[in-house]
Amino acid sequence: MSMLEVSHVTKVFGDTPALSDISFEVKDREFVFLTGPSGAGKTTLLRLILGEITPDAGKIILDGSDVVSLSTKEVPLLRQKIGVIFQDYKLLPERTARENIEVALAILGVPQSEWQDRVDHVLKLVGLAERPEFFPSQLSGGELQRVSIARALVINPKIILADEPTGNLDWKTGEEIMDLFDRINKEGKTVIVASHHKALIEKMGKRVIELNGGKINGATKEPKPKKEGK
Amino acid sequence: MNIHLKTALSNIRRSPFQGLSAVFVLSITFFVVTTLSLLVYSSGKVLKYFETRPQVIAFLKDSAKPEEVTFLQKRLAEDIQVKDVKYVSKEEALAIYKEATSDNPLLSELVSPSIFPASIEFSLTNLNYASGLIEEVKKEPIVDQVGFTANIGGESKVESSVEKLKAITFYLRVGGGILVALLLTTSIVVLLVIISMRLLVRRQEVEVLDLIGATSAFVRSPVILEAVIYCLVGVSLGWIMSLIMTLYLTPAVVSYFKEIPVLPKGALDLLSLYGIILAIEVIIGLLLAVSGSMLAVSRSKKSK
Repeated sequence: MSMLEVSHVTKVFGDTPALSDISFEVKDREFVFLTGPSGAGKTTLLRLILGEITPDAGKIILDGSDVVSLSTKEVPLLRQKIGVIFQDYKLLPERTARENIEVALAILGVPQSEWQDRVDHVLKLVGLAERPEFFPSQLSGGELQRVSIARALVINPKIILADEPTGNLDWKTGEEIMDLFDRINKEGKTVIVASHHKALIEKMGKRVIELNGGKINGATKEPKPKKEGK
Repeated sequence: MNIHLKTALSNIRRSPFQGLSAVFVLSITFFVVTTLSLLVYSSGKVLKYFETRPQVIAFLKDSAKPEEVTFLQKRLAEDIQVKDVKYVSKEEALAIYKEATSDNPLLSELVSPSIFPASIEFSLTNLNYASGLIEEVKKEPIVDQVGFTANIGGESKVESSVEKLKAITFYLRVGGGILVALLLTTSIVVLLVIISMRLLVRRQEVEVLDLIGATSAFVRSPVILEAVIYCLVGVSLGWIMSLIMTLYLTPAVVSYFKEIPVLPKGALDLLSLYGIILAIEVIIGLLLAVSGSMLAVSRSKKSK
């Protein structure tokens, strides 16, 4: 069953084409890397999937919903179904790690009585059970990304979209984060990670969609067995 | 605690001076609104007092026969423009005079009942009827003179007395209304500025919330709650200040106006009146908060 279907999507910013006639499919519970150099169109593609911008042509179907035809009021409902992770974490600096995760539950309208258990569960899953009351300024890059992942996971999304999640992290932390994504994928979530970190991508041995100049670079690379260590 | 309330309180704590300025302006506004409401109530009471007290006294000739007096009294009582018709005999007039000059007994010793004319006193249902009715009563053969007691500024004519009373009430209401409208506009502008600044500071937070699926209502809620908190605090402070001032001035006001009931009789009645004013002000405050913050949110969306 298809979780994401991108067909013939084109996006132009002014005179510059960001994406040209892109088509691919991501199956339910699949782990896919979107890769390519800076300016290849990875982030544009993720923004299109999130409904942040609309394509000039083409169709995007996410879990059965046509993203392009959604009204402004329906876009938040689409985003509530997606766990999003950003390179710059996008955490709220005035809130603790726990509160940052709770915000996602509040947006979803989960009763406050359930928050404690659900937040504790995801914090344990990402390895941050010891530091829930820390503010973002008191956490390291890797920990901030774990909070961001916990915030994405707490809403129990079917799909996780990550935009350069290891971009600001060292190799070892990046590896840990990728392992975390792998575990999340094995628990039944579809994971799409945009990254230019070739070594990490190769190590993970997942399907890769390579973008270059707004186009898909040849056929998508099928998964290879996961490499051990660097 | 609700997440929106927590965010609103945390926003207030982060910029206390913005909060203080909002509360200060709103307190002044609602102090004026409360005080003006009381003044409008009092002016209404004064007007009613003058409309219901014995306003017209028809002094009777000594030659008037009892049956003629009874006939006139009955005729006046049946007139829909007239109420509280009362006959005052010469003896009763002397008693009233003696009471009025009780601090100087010499004055009352020098007079006898024969020098006071008997009279018929009556009130009007509406002061507008005074002029016509007085002219009518003057034509009665048993009536010597007609006096009008509602003169409030020494006016010799009935019309000027009525007009002055009405003008005072009118200017109080219109002037007060304009002042309240100006203050409410100032309050809305102050709220608008503060909420807009808040949204500007929170722009990054709003963007994050937007990306993780927050609806407009979710983003708006803390901002509206913050404005509601300012308004409720402003209403309470303004109301309390006005109540304290009224309680402080009540003895002086009561002693100055004597029998004119400018303030409700009894503390419970006064508090009931203030309770009604508070309830209305809370509604106005909530409308102010919601409209001010919604305006700020829509402006901020347009500027994006």
